[in-house]
Amino acid sequence: MMCMRKLRSAFAAALLLGPCFFGSAQAQQEIKIGAIYPLTGAAASTGLEMRNALELAADMINNGAKGIDMPLAAGGGLPNLGNAKIRLIFADHQGNPQVGATEAERLIMQEKVVALLGCYFSNVTSTASQMAERYGVPFLNPESSSAKLTQRRFKWFFRTTPHDDLFVHNFYEFLKDIGAKKNLKPKRIALLNENTEWGVETTKIEEKLAGELGYNIVEKIIYPAKSTQLTSEVQRLKASKADLLMQSSYLGDAILSMKTYKEQGFAPSAILANDAGFSDTEFRRTLGKDANYVLSREVWAKDLTTQNPLIKQVNDLYAQKYKTDFNGNSARSFTGLFVLADAINRAGSTAPEAIRKALSETNIPGKHLIMPWEGVKFDATGQNTLGRGIIVQIQNGEFATVWPFDIATKDIIWPMPAWDKR
Amino acid sequence: MNGEILLQTLLSGILIGLVYALVAVGLSVIYGVMEIVNFAHGEFLMLGMYSSFWLFALFALDPLATLPLTLLLLFGLGALVYRFTIKRIVNAPMLSQIFVTFGLMILFRGGAQFFWKPDFRTVENSLVSGNVVINGLYFGIPHIVAALGAVVATGAVWWFINRTRLGAALEATAQDKEAAQLMGIPSHWIFALAWGLGAACAGVAGVLLSTFFPIFPEVGANFCLIAFVVVALGGFGNVTGALWAGIIVGVVEVLGGFWIGPEYKLAIVLTLFLAVILVRPQGLMGRAE
Amino acid sequence: MMTKKRNSLIVVGAALALVLPFIVSNPAHQNYLILVLMFAQIGVAWNILGGYVGQVSLGHVAFFGIGAYTSTALLISVGLSPWIGMLIGGIVAAVFGVMIGWICFRFKGHYFTMATIAVAEIIQVLFTNWEGVGGAVGLYVPMDRQGWGVMVFNSKLPYYYIALGLLCVTLLGNWAIEKSFLGYYFRAIKDEPEAARSLGVSLTAYKLVAIAISSFFTAMGGSFYAQKELFIDPGSVLVTSLSVKMSLVTILGGVGSLFGPLVGSTLLTGIEEATRQFFGGSGMGIDLIIYASIIIIVAIYYPAGVLGWIKHLLRRDAKTEGGA
Repeated sequence: MMCMRKLRSAFAAALLLGPCFFGSAQAQQEIKIGAIYPLTGAAASTGLEMRNALELAADMINNGAKGIDMPLAAGGGLPNLGNAKIRLIFADHQGNPQVGATEAERLIMQEKVVALLGCYFSNVTSTASQMAERYGVPFLNPESSSAKLTQRRFKWFFRTTPHDDLFVHNFYEFLKDIGAKKNLKPKRIALLNENTEWGVETTKIEEKLAGELGYNIVEKIIYPAKSTQLTSEVQRLKASKADLLMQSSYLGDAILSMKTYKEQGFAPSAILANDAGFSDTEFRRTLGKDANYVLSREVWAKDLTTQNPLIKQVNDLYAQKYKTDFNGNSARSFTGLFVLADAINRAGSTAPEAIRKALSETNIPGKHLIMPWEGVKFDATGQNTLGRGIIVQIQNGEFATVWPFDIATKDIIWPMPAWDKR
Repeated sequence: MNGEILLQTLLSGILIGLVYALVAVGLSVIYGVMEIVNFAHGEFLMLGMYSSFWLFALFALDPLATLPLTLLLLFGLGALVYRFTIKRIVNAPMLSQIFVTFGLMILFRGGAQFFWKPDFRTVENSLVSGNVVINGLYFGIPHIVAALGAVVATGAVWWFINRTRLGAALEATAQDKEAAQLMGIPSHWIFALAWGLGAACAGVAGVLLSTFFPIFPEVGANFCLIAFVVVALGGFGNVTGALWAGIIVGVVEVLGGFWIGPEYKLAIVLTLFLAVILVRPQGLMGRAE
Repeated sequence: MMTKKRNSLIVVGAALALVLPFIVSNPAHQNYLILVLMFAQIGVAWNILGGYVGQVSLGHVAFFGIGAYTSTALLISVGLSPWIGMLIGGIVAAVFGVMIGWICFRFKGHYFTMATIAVAEIIQVLFTNWEGVGGAVGLYVPMDRQGWGVMVFNSKLPYYYIALGLLCVTLLGNWAIEKSFLGYYFRAIKDEPEAARSLGVSLTAYKLVAIAISSFFTAMGGSFYAQKELFIDPGSVLVTSLSVKMSLVTILGGVGSLFGPLVGSTLLTGIEEATRQFFGGSGMGIDLIIYASIIIIVAIYYPAGVLGWIKHLLRRDAKTEGGA
């Protein structure tokens, strides 16, 4: 009994003192970079993929990767800083903007990171980068696509990925191209986008451009994410007799919606997805052949290896380590760290202003990236102007680039066959 | 809106509603016997789904075949949860009880992520897959099987409570714990039984769902709120009430989503719930106090 | 004797609270202190209805969100100072609270709790689809102007003192209630509803008073949150998990006691931040497991909350001393 009492007191004391054990040892010749990602919660699976990609990038910079012709991939850290090594400090934002800001502040003020990476979710990126702006620490965002983020004209915010505005423009350029070259013109477009900042913003741009370019939107659904059923949505889609569906969903909803389409016999000529859940490796793994023919805007595809041997080399390395290929999310995170490391190296210092200046002067040619981009170069708002999107189609369980035509590896299959004719 | 679509949405709503009912029955049994709302109920469902998935992935056993095993596993888990946590707070204030089951909810989610990674999983090509088309109406076979399974399981629970001696003991304890104890019914065993039964219901629902719903550590959250509404709508502690309430919620959700707008489907269900309990505070089929 | 001890404790605590940010100078750590004060404040506000009157609401986030949205929308649209916006938000929330109470107080026990969850979830859906307040995109508090007038600061210190001030005001409010006839009636409603009714106390009327005060203070907390984080959306200020957190800090500290939520918030925020900091980066969910285990253990072994447990210890010590 006495023992139990002691145990309880000790336990209570631990509770009270726990948060006081802050502070950490400062190691020399290390460049600390904070990375804030969703590592628990509904998006944790995507968060872990991005974490893996960042660790691979850090490992390549610190320890080198044989035969890969990429700046900084020779190993031995950053040459201009006395071969200092990169050390990533991960934090979990749980998909919560307040937690994202709290973690950003902790990484900056307590861990003394020299720069931040993150956060995948646009709304968390926005609060976390506000924190970086306050303290004057460079924030590099590799994968959030809300156009608003760079419209804030922050001094310390840089984004390598193209944003939603460009992605939706891509959709319509793609439609125009296949209309001109292949005589495929969708007559009735339906939108199915999830009810978050991302889905809502995408819907607005899609509607606006459809009006300007003369496309006919017959149904617009903004559905609540994480539903237990999507039957009402699919019934509406069926009733709309749409021949093209544009969809924005994260993984769980993407899988559930595909299953519901099959079950309810909803088969438009094409499903044009807005990346995210559809580009996740598990989307194809879990749906198998039912995932075929889905079109998605993308920023990365494995078959781009024919354009750039670097993509294959790096992907092989990643696949060897993590038993899966890169996807649009992990490839962007990987690229993000390399862009940041390149800037820190050119700055030759870990002073925030020096890194910021180096970032703004970034000019990496496309051949040194594993992305199908022309390169990385930031404008005054911090947006990379050389990024571009591609359209891929799942054919035989693999993503094949089908647009732009100059880098396409496969011909587009349109219309997709009805579910019972596969 | 033509008749065909009306019929289609109506029937789809009933099918998913029956699954809601089964999840809710488990919650209802626990509540009926000991007046504890189990916030971790969605996590029992999640564990049922994972059990189904792993038996399928590791031993290539079809979910339908492993259903009895999952049922037993979850029954045991429910009883263990009772034995090691709930037993100590049976007479604690309602707030402490909410606190403990809320903790269990987070614990199970964290545990699932720790052991099985946060990846999304699905059971592919189970025996139950594909769909049937009758007169232009589409039904997923997994949905039909799940709905049938839910009816059978709910019926079994009803039979157990109303037609067996053990069930009678359960009911007696629910009515009056002290009196039942005086009659020689050990309430702690009955409580453990209720938790086992409740978890087993959620587990069976999880197995049935696993044939068409993606599986991930947070999946319980999607169903938990709906299950709460179903239980309260049907009347806390009432099995038949939960069945009807499940069907109503399913139909209203699908139909309301179709008519008014999918973005409002949860709000529609909740508004209906509030409206019903305003008129009948004890729920549709609950006992008036 | 006891009150004297307590009063001197309060004075020491208040003095410590005033100088604390000078001892803890790292802004990240100051941020933790602010979080502690913020959650303590909404816990204290929740405690008025949930603790004193015993009506367990898990829909309080609706009031929190209404406060946050009112002050922020007024600031953005007409440039109204958040100080006034905060009061308006509180009043709006109080009116709304009375309306909700008028419906929900018909329900007893778990039905009441379920109904409050339902109301808050409905509000979340409505705000998510309401374009006028940013819908799913949310609202940003402009950062370009700073200072006391707009309640936006670069430094953590002003936020700390505002949070402390809010907490003190809310505590004072609670203390005044405890001492007045209201506190007497509230306890009567909680412990002896039938007796209270037979004495002619209108249960519903007093419950409505309680929910009005409680939602007013909760909404002020919401306005403060918006000014601190500079961004609100339905996913961050209208989620049921936040309602649960308000009740958690109260239970952890001690339900129905004045300082319970402060103690509970200190512990809960400490546990949350510490587990996430040490284990969150691993992506293994270990932080959740530890956090949950602590919650469960505390709820099982210290059902009266930490304050209740400390009081119990003190009493026991007093007894042993007396015996010796």
